[in-house]
Amino acid sequence: MTDRPSKTTADMQKMGKYFTRFLLGIAIILAVLELFLHRHGVAPIEDSFMFPAIFGFLAFMFIVQVGKWLRLMIMRPEDYYEGGASDD
Amino acid sequence: MTSLPPGLLMIIAAALLPFVPHMARQIVMLGAIALSAYGLVLGAGTHLVWDVLGFQLVLYRADSLSFPFAVIFHIAAALNVIYSWHDKHWSQHCAALSYAGAAIAALHAGDLITLFIWWEATAVTSVFLILAAGTATARRAAMRYLIFQVLSGVLLLAGAAIYAANTGSIAFTSMTLGDTASWLIFIAFGIKAAFPLLNGWLQDAYPEATVTGTVALSAFTTKLAIYALARGFAGTEYLIWIGAAMTALPVFFAVIENDLRRVLAFSLNNQLGFMVVAVGIGSELALNGAVAHAFVHIIYKALLFMSMGAVLHQVGTIKASELGGLYKTMPFTMVCCVIGAMSISAFPLFSGFVAKSLTMTALGDTGIMWAYFVLLFASAGVLEHSGIKIPYFAFFAHDRGFKTTEAPLNMRVAMGIAAFLCVAIGVFPAPLYNILPYAVDYHPYDASHVTGQMQLLIFAMLAFVVLIRMRLYPPEIPSVVLNSDWFYRRLAPQIGRPVLRGVIMVWGSFLCQMRGFVEAFWFVIDKLVRSPAAGPTITGPAALVQLILLLAVLSIVYVASIG
Repeated sequence: MTDRPSKTTADMQKMGKYFTRFLLGIAIILAVLELFLHRHGVAPIEDSFMFPAIFGFLAFMFIVQVGKWLRLMIMRPEDYYEGGASDD
Repeated sequence: MTSLPPGLLMIIAAALLPFVPHMARQIVMLGAIALSAYGLVLGAGTHLVWDVLGFQLVLYRADSLSFPFAVIFHIAAALNVIYSWHDKHWSQHCAALSYAGAAIAALHAGDLITLFIWWEATAVTSVFLILAAGTATARRAAMRYLIFQVLSGVLLLAGAAIYAANTGSIAFTSMTLGDTASWLIFIAFGIKAAFPLLNGWLQDAYPEATVTGTVALSAFTTKLAIYALARGFAGTEYLIWIGAAMTALPVFFAVIENDLRRVLAFSLNNQLGFMVVAVGIGSELALNGAVAHAFVHIIYKALLFMSMGAVLHQVGTIKASELGGLYKTMPFTMVCCVIGAMSISAFPLFSGFVAKSLTMTALGDTGIMWAYFVLLFASAGVLEHSGIKIPYFAFFAHDRGFKTTEAPLNMRVAMGIAAFLCVAIGVFPAPLYNILPYAVDYHPYDASHVTGQMQLLIFAMLAFVVLIRMRLYPPEIPSVVLNSDWFYRRLAPQIGRPVLRGVIMVWGSFLCQMRGFVEAFWFVIDKLVRSPAAGPTITGPAALVQLILLLAVLSIVYVASIG
């Protein structure tokens, strides 16, 4: 017997695909706009080609990666505080 | 009536709520809020002063800084009344209305003592919103919350007393950080503004409050602290450092937090960071940015807490590891949540964009580039936890098979109004700009700014898509994330208990020794009385008579000698 995904799961997968395409479409439009539009920033480096895009992408990746490392240090079981009587 | 401090009427009305039936109670609350807001028509100036013990208590002082805060506090109070309309018991309504009233009254305090009174009133009233959850966890969190809030008030009072002794004035005006008084007041404000390491109470207590209580809590205390910082310490450079840390650090905690209301509490902390940086810059543009950010933040943060509250109300859990797939059964809540998420992420045409860009531009003008890039980095962090994580894990991610319906109508109405305001302010920022403390000549919608922001957000979202598709995004795990409250919930007891045990042991031994000495002393006295060294034993009454006679003789001799 195989576990078939529910209709909601299938719908969400379909939506995920459409949403990814939608994001890629906007990303391409922004890249094209970058060729024609003079975008100016506060710091000189911000004027580089697609700087906010690269910064946003890398910052997001960095945050998630650091979060994963942080889990090793500061993640505890749900009953960490309530299990003991230390905060009573 | 209008010369009463705004907010006071709400507190008076709150005292009457237990005696009013449910429907009438809701109308009384909205009426009290409207009347209190009507008090704002008096405009700028000092409208009520009370001379006490040689000091002037300025109970009602209004100006261009207090006004936008007062407007948004009234809006938040009204939204909360609508959102909690279904709750038929008076206790939470009473706490929420008096809490909002105290916060509004605090905005209009013109001196430090009046500020202290309302500062403490917000603590005492709001704690009932946490206690109302009724769980043992909530009760403990409420006590910790109360300790921190009262500590903040005590520091404020101590600072005010020293300030009065040094300057002879208790006026609440701009201060320079330097002497003991100003530091005490600064730390008092810092506790309520959730500065790094002083922030534990926020993430600890807010998610433990009731569904409706968290919405009220998210609006007032922390923004009152931002107002107080803007009033007292605008232009203090330390605030740029503190604020930058506040924007950046919570984003890492929010990534791995499983309780979605706690994720929002981390997000709240991050948003406060933007405001604190703006206050630290202190320029007119930056202070406009801080106020505008506080204004829109109250609405979209309330909207996000309301949508998560609706999920909790309908499904019974708010843990990311247990949620998902609710977009089909709660589509309206999902749309409102997404609007709140887009607003907080500062998408163009949403309220966060028109407010945050003021702060970013002001920061750019200062040339403090490291802080500018920290805030830019934190903007990607906001998108991660509030823009994506909250709606994604609640409404999409995995189908958990929940059979539920939309939240009650009143909750949807409140969410609908908040969502409308998020879009309306984003599209038409002029009315907001018109009530900011300083005249604004700022246009957020230039092509460069819009495309830059869109690039940041869209490519950060693409990073999320990549991580999800490659299964690199950290899965939701039932867990708690240690925060600064760990120091007093775990570390302090672990160090303190052995020390306390030792102190109690030494004290017990000391008491035991003392008891031995006392017994020995009385034994000797008893021996002397029962067996005097010489002469016959004198009985009690005879000794008393002799004592009285002796005293009488002494008195006569004394009177005669001075005569």
